[in-house]
Amino acid sequence: MPVITVTQINRYIGSILKNDRNIQGIMVRGEISNYVKHFRSGHVYFTLKDSESAIKAVMFANSAARLKFAPEDGMAVIVSGSIGVYERDGAYQLYVNDIIPEGAGAQGAALEQLKRKLQKEGIFDTAHKRPIPAMPKKIGAVTSLSGAAVRDIINVLSRRYPLGEVYAVNALVQGEGAPESVCRGILRAEAAGCDVIIVGRGGGSSEDLSAFNTEKVAYAIYNCKVPVISAVGHETDFTIADLAADLRAPTPSAAAELAAPDISMLYEKIGILERRYEKAALAVLDRSTDRFVALNARLAAQSPENRLKLTGEKLSALNKRRDAAFLRYMDRLERQLGEKAARLDSLSPLKVLSRGYSLVYKEDSLLSSSESLKKGDKVKITFGSGGAEAEITDKW
Amino acid sequence: MTRLGQIVSELEKGDIPLEKAVELYGEGVKLSAECRKQLDSAQIKITEDDGKAPSEE
Repeated sequence: MPVITVTQINRYIGSILKNDRNIQGIMVRGEISNYVKHFRSGHVYFTLKDSESAIKAVMFANSAARLKFAPEDGMAVIVSGSIGVYERDGAYQLYVNDIIPEGAGAQGAALEQLKRKLQKEGIFDTAHKRPIPAMPKKIGAVTSLSGAAVRDIINVLSRRYPLGEVYAVNALVQGEGAPESVCRGILRAEAAGCDVIIVGRGGGSSEDLSAFNTEKVAYAIYNCKVPVISAVGHETDFTIADLAADLRAPTPSAAAELAAPDISMLYEKIGILERRYEKAALAVLDRSTDRFVALNARLAAQSPENRLKLTGEKLSALNKRRDAAFLRYMDRLERQLGEKAARLDSLSPLKVLSRGYSLVYKEDSLLSSSESLKKGDKVKITFGSGGAEAEITDKW
Repeated sequence: MTRLGQIVSELEKGDIPLEKAVELYGEGVKLSAECRKQLDSAQIKITEDDGKAPSEE
């Protein structure tokens, strides 16, 4: 035979208990004793007993924090939870997630059961919750038309949201036939074209609220095609209608405030839109002006006037080039002339005379031969510098 | 109000011709004035329904 450990046996027993549906998710009636709340962890420990037997119970801090009353020794209660094993001590105990005072009667337990059933059926699913329209046209109010709730709703809406229409459907909110009346009211408001419906009543005792704790009303709210705001004036406890509704309001006035925006906000919104389109239109205008200026500049560049100016500029540049070219040409001519003059100068007869040659004139004509000369002729002689008169004494 | 929002976003796109912008701006001015008038003159309407089933009437 195999040997197993204590831990193994406790863990095994624990798994058996966990898989036994008869002791999981159960409700147990009994009386609280040895109630202790651990001051640091917030966990709650007690013994649940009846006349013959007792069971240890533990409620962890997160569940204990949700309790709407303070349990105490001797209190008759209905506890919901599951049986499990506390491995360290090898003890089985009741793990509690909710405690309902038995004072609330069997009715309380039944309500708890109904809540759990509807929860399982998905009636409270957050995924099913629809948003409230931003600007509803027709707001349904399903409540007693002789009660304070409808006056509160109308007062709030006429002050805050006079744009809308209130479609108020009379419904019995307590007593016999109340659930059916509320369901019919929801259908009537839906059929009238409401785009959001407030269902509720002013405060009342928990018996007065029983219509809002019925399966019928829960389904009517769940199946309604438009969003439903619950307004069951009861701050502390959530009714089933509250859980099924798309939005829960603590009072009918609060429901009216949640159903529609305040008109001052609408004025503000228009103001914001006005500023935005002013700004956007100005921006478009600015951009158009810039584009116009740019195009205008390009157009001006192509104007005949401007082209004439450009041609003029080109012409004067050409003129300048021509003048400069002419001056350069003249310079060159001058230089060439200078050189030629220098060469010419070297060929001048005066230069020849300075080298020792002389010129002989007879009666002012230059002689290049002695042929016309006779003895006794007078001649003039020009030297490189100075001159003389001479008489021919002989010739050859 | 919805149309006013559309006009604003169209204008804010910016890449629209000036004539279109002027036209939208004009429409915006008209619409916001209309919205304000509607708010100013709004009067809540209340309809009562006795909630009785047809057989009860």
